[in-house]
Amino acid sequence: MPRVTIDDRTLEVAAGTNLVDAAAAAGVQIPHYCYHPRLSVVGQCRMCMVEVEGMPKLQAACSTPVVKDGMVVRTQSPAAVEAQRAIMEFLLINHPLDCPICDQAGECGLQDYSFKHGQAFSRFRFEEKRVYPEKERIPLGPTVMLNMNRCIQCTRCVRFTEEVSKTGEIGFFNRGSHAEIGTVEGRPLDNPLSTCVVDICPVGALTSTRFRFAERVWYLDKKPSLCTGCDAGCNITLEHRRGSIKRYKPRYNAEVNDYWMCDFGRGTHERYRDEPRLLSPLVRKNDELAPASWREAIDALFQAVRAKRADGVTAFLGSGFLTTEEAFLLAQLARLVESPHLSVWTDSGPARQIPNPRGGVSGREAAPNRRGAEWAGLVPGADGLDGENLLLEGGADRCAALFVADSDFGKAARDPRVVERLRKARFLAVMGWADTPLARAADVVLPAATHAEREGTFVNSQSRLQRFTRAFPAPSQARPGVEILAELLGRFEPRWGSVDAATAFDLLAEEVDRFAELRWHSLPPQGVSLAAREAPEGAA
Amino acid sequence: MASERVLTRNVGRAAARTVRGYREGGGYEALSRALRMQPAEVVEEIKKSGLRGRGGAGFPCGMKWSFVPRNIDKPKYIVCNADESEPGTFKDRLLMEHDPHQLLEGCVIAGWAVGASTTYIYIRGEYTVATAILEEAIRDAYDQGVLGASVLGSGFRHDIHVHRGAGAYICGEETGLLESLEGKRGQPRVKPPFPAVVGAFGCPTVINNVETLCCVTHIVQRGAEWFKAIGTDERNTGPKLYAVSGHVERPGTYEHPIGITFRELLDSCGGMYKGRALKAWIPGGASAAMLTAADVDTQLDFDTLAKAGSMLGSAAVIVMDETTCVVRATLRLAEFFAHESCGQCTPCREGTNWMRILLERIASGHGAERDLDLLASVVPNVGGISLCALGDAAQGPVKSLLAKFGDEIRDNLRQRRYPLPQVPFFDLGAVA
Repeated sequence: MPRVTIDDRTLEVAAGTNLVDAAAAAGVQIPHYCYHPRLSVVGQCRMCMVEVEGMPKLQAACSTPVVKDGMVVRTQSPAAVEAQRAIMEFLLINHPLDCPICDQAGECGLQDYSFKHGQAFSRFRFEEKRVYPEKERIPLGPTVMLNMNRCIQCTRCVRFTEEVSKTGEIGFFNRGSHAEIGTVEGRPLDNPLSTCVVDICPVGALTSTRFRFAERVWYLDKKPSLCTGCDAGCNITLEHRRGSIKRYKPRYNAEVNDYWMCDFGRGTHERYRDEPRLLSPLVRKNDELAPASWREAIDALFQAVRAKRADGVTAFLGSGFLTTEEAFLLAQLARLVESPHLSVWTDSGPARQIPNPRGGVSGREAAPNRRGAEWAGLVPGADGLDGENLLLEGGADRCAALFVADSDFGKAARDPRVVERLRKARFLAVMGWADTPLARAADVVLPAATHAEREGTFVNSQSRLQRFTRAFPAPSQARPGVEILAELLGRFEPRWGSVDAATAFDLLAEEVDRFAELRWHSLPPQGVSLAAREAPEGAA
Repeated sequence: MASERVLTRNVGRAAARTVRGYREGGGYEALSRALRMQPAEVVEEIKKSGLRGRGGAGFPCGMKWSFVPRNIDKPKYIVCNADESEPGTFKDRLLMEHDPHQLLEGCVIAGWAVGASTTYIYIRGEYTVATAILEEAIRDAYDQGVLGASVLGSGFRHDIHVHRGAGAYICGEETGLLESLEGKRGQPRVKPPFPAVVGAFGCPTVINNVETLCCVTHIVQRGAEWFKAIGTDERNTGPKLYAVSGHVERPGTYEHPIGITFRELLDSCGGMYKGRALKAWIPGGASAAMLTAADVDTQLDFDTLAKAGSMLGSAAVIVMDETTCVVRATLRLAEFFAHESCGQCTPCREGTNWMRILLERIASGHGAERDLDLLASVVPNVGGISLCALGDAAQGPVKSLLAKFGDEIRDNLRQRRYPLPQVPFFDLGAVA
């Protein structure tokens, strides 16, 4: 591999690596706007000019590959610094300085580089700035708003629709200082990945219709998380203010979603806001659900599942929204009461596809973790009742007690016929965050945390195990599922009482071959592929 | 100047537009000669002749051809750049309108030399007459077996297509031209890779100017030594067309050995218009730096002009007399570049427009000395760091304005002389 020296730091990079990436590997940031690692190199913003020894003119770092050994690059030479200053000046002479009302403020490439490479005064004093009349608020499609006056013509969005989404809605029109981006009449920007152009827009020209004006970005707390929209398992940054989620943004993971995520996924947090929450444990007394203490609720559930009853079996129905750890604990519960009736239900969703360098990741289910839940043990034993028996047939008739873990496991939780069918169980307990008709029909209701309020792991459609973190605490009396299940298990065997997600995962890894040798605290940030591991049939 | 007319020998001879008429003057002999040579020999001959590109950059033609990979499993293309859009330039039009077969012959020879079986002539959209003449000539050439499956019965296939541009200056830049040819938005590509390796449709491509290809015909016909004997020195060889416009008595296209002095060229055009004094002249189209009366004995070739701080470019000589406001003249050029910038890269998109604004302020009488200083500090940022040569081109005339006339402009600004009185170029009364 050729060696390259960038600002006196020498390193080896793969031949063909461009200087922006090589510098980043050396810990040197070269400012750039138009360059994006997943888009074709056009070298047109000219912000990344650097001095290369032996070349008479400054070179654009993005379009200069490291080919031969011994290249010497200076990013801070007087000529390079002057070029960066000049480009900043050129970009700003016609840029409206409307940062106070611009949604991008706080995460704007122009702001950031102004501080770093720009100057505090303008030499473009007497002339009117260029404006694009009536192009301050152009909806490019249902998800993206264009303010042409703020555009710096980097054409990342144009290249995204051409090269990544392959839909080609956005084009580059007109010439010179009138050059602009836009769509053709009758062909709006409308594709499943459209909001990604907002993420890659370095300025406030493209803003998200969904997010704009929802929050100033400097008030947002950002936590690494996972999208729960489907089983593609897109890595996201969950951005919230005091427990109110404002947006999901894709988080880079070349193995999974690369730099992208779909528009559907971005909206999946809205149900946490729009749907009623379960905030207190409820226990049915005199045929009416009434608020109760956690102790009362868990006692009632413990009594109902513990006793072997003559009038029927005890069944457990998990969902694809459970974390692997919760599913494992639920499976332990079934084991303790010697019930073979345990399973996972997941709605199948529309197929979603996120491109990545390895051919993309697809999601086909409407929940993030059916695989993980099943591999953690939620599979029916011999003659066990499964989701289909319970939801579509009269399986619940045979149940003395039925515990549905996740009140929002699928569309069926809101289907009155299904609720009626499940209600046939002599005792019905429901755990979950959403106040659904199913929860309302239960005898015991356990309010649980959303995925933003708990930590755990999901296994996506590529069999990749990924961990997500808690962004903020659950409101009121709601608790993470692991805590609830651990307390319940503790009534059987005290050793379970103090189990948290980390210990639950490590116990799971000891018990189930597929997870062998994995430890919660050493799970790599990009996840672990379980695909190559032996599939332990019917393990529990 | 009693030199032989080479490139323009058929100008005014209408019969030369047909294959038969062209042959009568010795046409297509060079092609049959080339077809009897090995392709590598043709390339070598061109290299030896010292022919440099006539489009503006002056890159050695033979060397350009030799960059095309020999053994490659892809078609190769010849692209003739006939998008003559540099302000002041009108030499290729003359060649195409009066002697289309001279160009076609050069194209086929180039095709034979690099192993290309297709030529695209990318012609400026406004050249409707030249387009019609070329297309007629191509039809004729197919009928006469000069083009098609077997060129002059040699078994070598060559096809020529004429592709009309839509009027953008930037499509004269070679990679902008290729984008446009491919049906895309005409804007330059990042180089490398250079067109000789990845050009039209991703295939190796040679892009030559009309005049360059016309020269090829004569080099093959009469030999590299003959060609080399014409001109200033080893690096500046052959006959050259100069397109003279502005304040001269007889503007037009003149053929001279490359490297005559500006004074000689001016004499051949009948001298300055109405005998007025020379103020400034541009030797090579709008992108070239202005020169003044002090430079009249400069030889008009690539190296001498480069040494003088300007360039031969397309050899479009624009002459301005004492009545000219040089700021307004430069503003006109700046307006052109601001209008023709493709808008892709930042320095050119924003810088050309800013230069235009500042020149307009000065020329219109609203400017002050600080505008001149500001202009001087903005200009160097426009070229040098732009994506293609348009940024460099745009700064050329402004830079020279500041260098050659800076003191004069400063003085005029102090004396509040702007706007200077405008003297109409043509005395319309005299015409009537």
